[in-house]
Amino acid sequence: MKRIIIAGGGIAGTIVANRLVKALSPEIGKGEVELVVIDKSDRHVYQPGQVFVGMGLVEPTEIIKNERDLLDDRVKFLHGEKGEITKIDPANNTVVTADGVKHTYDYLVIATGSHLNWDEIPGLREAEYTPWSYDDALKMREAVQQFQGGTVVINVARLPHKCPVGPLEMTLMFEDWTRRIGIRDKTRIIYTYPIQGVFGIKSTNDLMIKIFKERGIEIISPFTVTRVDPKEKIIESQEGEKLKFDLLLGVPPHVGAKVIGDSGIGDKRNWVPTDKFTLQMKGYSNVYVIGDTTDIPISKAGSTADFESYVVTANIVNDIRGIKPKKMYDGSVFCYIATGLDQATYIRFNYNNPPIPPPPSYVHWWGKILYNKLYWTVTAKAIV
Amino acid sequence: MSSYKIQKSLDLTGTSCAGPIGELSGVMDEIGVGEAVEVILGDEATKKDVVAWVTKKGYKVVSETKEGNKFKLVIQK
Repeated sequence: MKRIIIAGGGIAGTIVANRLVKALSPEIGKGEVELVVIDKSDRHVYQPGQVFVGMGLVEPTEIIKNERDLLDDRVKFLHGEKGEITKIDPANNTVVTADGVKHTYDYLVIATGSHLNWDEIPGLREAEYTPWSYDDALKMREAVQQFQGGTVVINVARLPHKCPVGPLEMTLMFEDWTRRIGIRDKTRIIYTYPIQGVFGIKSTNDLMIKIFKERGIEIISPFTVTRVDPKEKIIESQEGEKLKFDLLLGVPPHVGAKVIGDSGIGDKRNWVPTDKFTLQMKGYSNVYVIGDTTDIPISKAGSTADFESYVVTANIVNDIRGIKPKKMYDGSVFCYIATGLDQATYIRFNYNNPPIPPPPSYVHWWGKILYNKLYWTVTAKAIV
Repeated sequence: MSSYKIQKSLDLTGTSCAGPIGELSGVMDEIGVGEAVEVILGDEATKKDVVAWVTKKGYKVVSETKEGNKFKLVIQK
């Protein structure tokens, strides 16, 4: 029997598990293949929905479900101590969990994700509200609801981070919200970003700068945060700026999972070296890397994981069936960008074709809402 | 002649949300002084932007080669 282990049950791990089980249905039915998802948590959070929670637009319960309910019944799911991965050892085809069990595999998919590294910036944890984790989104929700005006600094600490369009969305949704509750004239909004502009892709950067200017949102970039004084409410940058704020919203630095570092299989930020086309871990033909976990210069986003899941699935299935050609990931990404509380645009691109975002509209806003809602019944379950 | 260790090779020829400078900035933050990163860039305009950013940050381009339409730079911190 061939065993496929999927390390991580987030968006990437769940989609690829469900896609694999469908594609390998005959082999699983005959007992020739076993699929195992391993994750410490049995709580599945739809992370792209966290900014909506932070802004108070959706209830927290709408973006969280039990992982077991999302996985196909034919997928074995280990969680708790049995699912806490303490070591990944690709040289010996083994994953070790906190209960001391060594799980051997024929194929491994690493989907351990990206995580917040607050301590990289002194004072940041104490001062900043963020929707980049579920628990923090709940705290942000309270802080936003209590805000009555003042200076709001929105900061992106380091690149790359998950949901790259998220800071733009958070800024524009927040700005729209201040208008709707009648405090825009009492609110100064400053967006700070570690490289010149507000976003890394020229077409999107140009559109967003235009919208920011029209909406009176100030931009200070490059701004590489070095420390935050939570008492005095001052954020400082490597470039010498010091900004006083009443409310600090932002994106903390991101790193790959601790187990990647502990296993010695990642780079300095715990991203796993990955072939940008085949999605194989460099140096290991039976190990694939998916979603935020890779070191590929591509967006760390749910849609990226979804597009990648087709490639990983096809390559594992072909290998099991002895079919030679490898399927190649073309760098596809699709992200809606909310530009307010009832309008949005989107970017769709791949390695070779940059995006051309359309003008923001109500139609794309509803596209975004629908896309979020369909996650549970369509995307996560790999229906299409 | 300066010696350096290449810590990472980055293929920045494709489109990504952080852009080539955003991706490069994340890696340069991590490496130590004296260490280097090799980058592959897909066009002349991106190369100019990257070189301008490298100069502004006080880093150094220690090697530059052209392979077909692509540029390979080694950037030292």
